[in-house]
Amino acid sequence: MTSDYVISVDGLVRAYGEKVAVDGVSFGVRKGEIFGFLGPNGAGKTTTIKVLTTLIPPTHGKVTVLSYDVTDEPLKVRRRIGVVQQQPSLEMFMTVEQNLDSSGFLWDISKEERKKRIRFLSELFGLGDCLKSKGPELSIGQRRRVQVARELMHDMDILFLDEPTLGLDPQMRRTLLDYVKKCASEGLTVFFTTHIMEEAEYLCDRAAVIDHGKILACDTVEKLRSRFGTGTIIEFTLAEKEVSLKSALMSVKGINAFSEPQEEDGSFKISADDPSGVLPELLHALFTRGLHVTSVNVKESSLEEAFLKLTSEREAKA
Amino acid sequence: MSPLFLASMLVSPLIYIFVLGFAFGGAIPSVVAGGISMSYILFLAPGIIVSQFLTGGVYAGASIWFDKRFGMFEQILVGPFTKTQYITSKILSVALQGLAMAFLVLLLTSPLLSGLSVSFLGILYIVAAWMFGSLLFGSLSIIISTAVKTDEVLNVVFNIIMPPLLFLSSVFYPLENVPALIRALALANPLTYAADMFRAGMLGLQTSYLSYEVLLLVVESVSMFLLAVKRFKGIKI
Repeated sequence: MTSDYVISVDGLVRAYGEKVAVDGVSFGVRKGEIFGFLGPNGAGKTTTIKVLTTLIPPTHGKVTVLSYDVTDEPLKVRRRIGVVQQQPSLEMFMTVEQNLDSSGFLWDISKEERKKRIRFLSELFGLGDCLKSKGPELSIGQRRRVQVARELMHDMDILFLDEPTLGLDPQMRRTLLDYVKKCASEGLTVFFTTHIMEEAEYLCDRAAVIDHGKILACDTVEKLRSRFGTGTIIEFTLAEKEVSLKSALMSVKGINAFSEPQEEDGSFKISADDPSGVLPELLHALFTRGLHVTSVNVKESSLEEAFLKLTSEREAKA
Repeated sequence: MSPLFLASMLVSPLIYIFVLGFAFGGAIPSVVAGGISMSYILFLAPGIIVSQFLTGGVYAGASIWFDKRFGMFEQILVGPFTKTQYITSKILSVALQGLAMAFLVLLLTSPLLSGLSVSFLGILYIVAAWMFGSLLFGSLSIIISTAVKTDEVLNVVFNIIMPPLLFLSSVFYPLENVPALIRALALANPLTYAADMFRAGMLGLQTSYLSYEVLLLVVESVSMFLLAVKRFKGIKI
């Protein structure tokens, strides 16, 4: 692992008795990076985050956060991180304002600054109307927003987000992701676990895919897409029904894969690395056969496709 | 803690002192303890105040239990604190609540206690009973809360432990004339030591074994705290 990593994980193993939750995981996260830790439920994401945030010690392996060993100097790590855990957490007997204020107080934030931050965060997360409400009076979504806002009351070098958008509505998800992006642009390092690929795609610079406790791939989001996705997809429909294009497309160079229309959408799909080179030739081939194109759509393959491919390959091997 | 909750916690000790104190006081004209004769209510009041350190201590464990239940437990453990600081803060919190309760009960029962003068040594006994009593019972309840897995078991354990601790002690009666078995059990109960120390401070009523009680309460409370820290550090997450 190189020294420019603020999170460095080398051969991490974490077992609960006989059960190995994380099995020889290694990766590094650079300063100011938004690093996605992606995997299906039970893949080992939360266990890894628990080790990184010093909640549980590693069984084997070396883990450093901000150059501190998580086993030897856990308090030094905790003093410089923020953690939004997957499980909901709230001081139920306190009001929203007291929840935020007590968190700031525990982090030694001055009273004046706490007031400013409560005003800012309550506005950002739409909590202004329920500042005087206590836990039981809040909806699940509001509780989640308080949980996230509370963790942003203090300054930190690394923010750990363990599925932070669970229970949030789409608008609030976007608000949170945009705010995290803004913080990262100002130098905050973010470690983000999720199984929602759109979020990872929107937010992350790099990502690791974990399943059954092992990392299957670790790279930039673009590279994961291109390495494990299906390339760029050209979708088109024809006015003519029940046409087979297999022979017509044989002559077009640069096509990686081709699929006939499926019942649900009726569109042909072509996978190609260079759509700008393929598209003119494709249209020409169709035109010369007297076929009429009614729509064309070019789209990038998604991280979700790469994720599904990686995890299903792993499933098949297992 | 809300003022309403604090007020509700006063109900039980005030009923004990005023109802039990006056009701039994009618049947027992005077109590002789440590060679001093006094009214039953005067004997009872310091004991009831000390028992607040026991009931208050239960809140330390209950508070950790609530933290677990509402997700705050792990959240606090990833904060800039050590586990020892975490449980110390819980004990300190219940100790201060206990002190506030004791002060309020004293204030409300002051007409009954008029004429008492507390010496400097007496204050030391009172402070020691408060400090070490809160430490011991707070630590005990934390140990229980770390050991049990469900709300139901937590309630069962507290329901089983609390009555014998409260009633097999010198809180309600002097130990001079009780059956040998009850006396033996009460003398093994740290609430007895705290109650006797508090009475020594408030009433100048000293048992012949008071210095042993002081020593035992200090040793037991510190040991219980260290045990609570050890258990808490080993807690599985």
